[in-house]
Amino acid sequence: MNHLDGTAFTIVIVSFLVVTCIGFAAARWRPAEDPMHLNEWGLGGRGFGTFVSWFLLGGDIYTAYTFIAVPALVYAAGAAGFYALSYTIMVWPIVFVFGPRLWSVARARGYVSPGEFVRGRHGSQGLGLAVAATGILATMPYIALQLVGIQSVLTVLGVGGNSSNVFIRDLPLIIAFVVVSAYTYLAGLRAPALIAFVKDTLIYVTVIVAILYIPSRIGGWGHIFGVSSAHLKSVNPTTGKPYGNLVVLPAGQWAYATLALGSALALFVYPHAATGLFAAKRRDVIRRNAAMLPAYTLVLGLIALFGYMARAVPSVNAGVQAGNGNAQLSVPLLFSSMFPSWFAGVADAAIIIGALVPAAIMSIAAANLFTRTIYKELFRPYASAAEETRVARLASLLMKVGALGFALELNKTFSINLQLLGGIWILQTFPSVVIGLFTRWFHRAALIIGWMAGMAYGTVQAYRTSGGGQAHFGASAAPVFGHTTYIAISALLLNLAVSAVLSVVFKGFGLQDGYDETKPADYVADPVPAPAPAGGSAGRRERERERRREREAAPAHVPTRAAARAPEAPPAHVPTRAAAAAPTRAAARAPEPAPGAGRATEPAAKPAARGRPPWDPAVPWSLGAAPEEAAVARGRTGAAGATAAATGAPAPGKANAAPDDDATVVFDIPASLTRRPRSQERPLRRK
Amino acid sequence: MVRHASPTKSPAIKVTVTVTLTVAIGGALWVPIYAHLLPELGDFPFFYWYQLILVPVTAFLCWISYLLLRTESAALAREREREEARQ
Repeated sequence: MNHLDGTAFTIVIVSFLVVTCIGFAAARWRPAEDPMHLNEWGLGGRGFGTFVSWFLLGGDIYTAYTFIAVPALVYAAGAAGFYALSYTIMVWPIVFVFGPRLWSVARARGYVSPGEFVRGRHGSQGLGLAVAATGILATMPYIALQLVGIQSVLTVLGVGGNSSNVFIRDLPLIIAFVVVSAYTYLAGLRAPALIAFVKDTLIYVTVIVAILYIPSRIGGWGHIFGVSSAHLKSVNPTTGKPYGNLVVLPAGQWAYATLALGSALALFVYPHAATGLFAAKRRDVIRRNAAMLPAYTLVLGLIALFGYMARAVPSVNAGVQAGNGNAQLSVPLLFSSMFPSWFAGVADAAIIIGALVPAAIMSIAAANLFTRTIYKELFRPYASAAEETRVARLASLLMKVGALGFALELNKTFSINLQLLGGIWILQTFPSVVIGLFTRWFHRAALIIGWMAGMAYGTVQAYRTSGGGQAHFGASAAPVFGHTTYIAISALLLNLAVSAVLSVVFKGFGLQDGYDETKPADYVADPVPAPAPAGGSAGRRERERERRREREAAPAHVPTRAAARAPEAPPAHVPTRAAAAAPTRAAARAPEPAPGAGRATEPAAKPAARGRPPWDPAVPWSLGAAPEEAAVARGRTGAAGATAAATGAPAPGKANAAPDDDATVVFDIPASLTRRPRSQERPLRRK
Repeated sequence: MVRHASPTKSPAIKVTVTVTLTVAIGGALWVPIYAHLLPELGDFPFFYWYQLILVPVTAFLCWISYLLLRTESAALAREREREEARQ
């Protein structure tokens, strides 16, 4: 397996070059009026519809590592590896429940990462910081594992595998990663979103061909299951027990179920999954995708079956033996021994590109988290949008370099251990993030202590488990009260118990809780997106021209955006919405001083020329006005926009009658909080 | 005192959605119902074909729930989508 497979290698190189071109071209896809905004670089303009989101989320969550590791587990241990299928079945109904709320509040408040939401919701910098740190810690080894996935493909391809020099051996990996870092730096989330199309096409083609073609070549499914069953029943000489079983035995069912549930609960708390969620254009996109993303789950289930196919091919077994029993080689070896060279190349390219997409998204997600929750919160509260974007870009580079260091310098098992720990750690932020979406019953200090307890317990428990030839971090499940349970779940239960008890205690003592900057309406908000950004460049240019004409026609003394834009409220195709939105938008904008008023000489022209991305001040959360005006406008527009979106009926009259209780909240800050003036000033820090 | 932006759905819809989602999650979570080899479906043990079939079933249940919870009328959504596609 050490000789270089020329045809396959050429195909891999060509696909990599194609993807690189796409990555760089992505910078010009749906061009932003203001590219130096974290919404643009970090969230692709927050404008991805159902279709793009489907590819993005699919490319993000179903990573190459999954495609290598799950069949490897099935190859080695049988049915236990299928927990990944149960987990990805369960995850969509779960996301269906909380995804839309998370999206809405992030949209309404302009959050780009879960850490920011936690900080705002619980009014606690410390908790936000804890969530951000956990997210970054859990993401780094995850990126490293994508590299491990690439490495196993390169090994089977015979690229650089047998040099003793670390640098030469890993040169292909380093080159690939430098290129990915470059286009991620330039294009942000747009690059992986576009590349995801290629990735998923390749993956689907590979899987469909493999599932139809391989079984017929090796004697049908009956033979495949028969061989695997025989192998799994044979006794493992190191443990003295069978390798596994074709079904989950009663003793393993609790571990299987908790592993699946824990992974499903944790998935969307991971920053990269949340990033994919936040990039959606509308609230409905989340729910629709919850019903459509299971297509990937089906693919994952079929890929898991590759593990059994690999077991039924003698040359794969020999290859795995030659590779020191590394089961992760089984799928690449299966491809190279079953497919003609050129198609093996396609399949390998699918895995490599499938690793690059999530690696890029993860680094972006971690960079968003770092920028907003750590850098801005701790060091530069008044950082401009452009500065944020610069910092995020650098942070994404650092994340990649760090992950590369992980993958190259440290033992591979170390990455895998860390990823196991990452899964346990990230679930400890579940109470703050997901439960926080529904209730603020938990006290912020209790949540921090609960988080600490969960982290400590999980880490210690994971350290104490042995298995797979390792003394520590050997397995992800450990016995609790006689049941072998996924450590993340037992740690989460401890976390919740501590948080609940302490919440009662702290409230009993009257300890001050944080100030919640979100409003109940934020969690169901579904802002009407601005009509402009999507679509082809021709239509776009035309609209631009139209807008310019309008501006020129408008009287020169008109000072505010509101007046400049009022005539271009959404076109007549949605009359009800337009009717509802136009007056309220105007109202929202009226008190707003043009952002450039201080410096720009022509206040009307400049802001209007910036186009109308969905978060522009047409929506109330980014008002640059003084807090009281902002609050008043927010109360009106938020209510009116949401009602209009919700009922589709004209509702301007209703909107005006809306109670202004939201508006008064700004003044309701408890006296004890006035020592922290930043929470009040937050509405001011837009640019 | 709290203004809810989405129109309140009837309790029947809420119950239906809760039930469909619970079924979707429970079908995968309750391992003992599918940890069997038999009955086989074309050489596939029950454990495998059950889970593979559960995938589209879950997707279908999520889609039903989406339709039930959807806040804007289908016609309006179609029109908006067409408009967006045109742009």
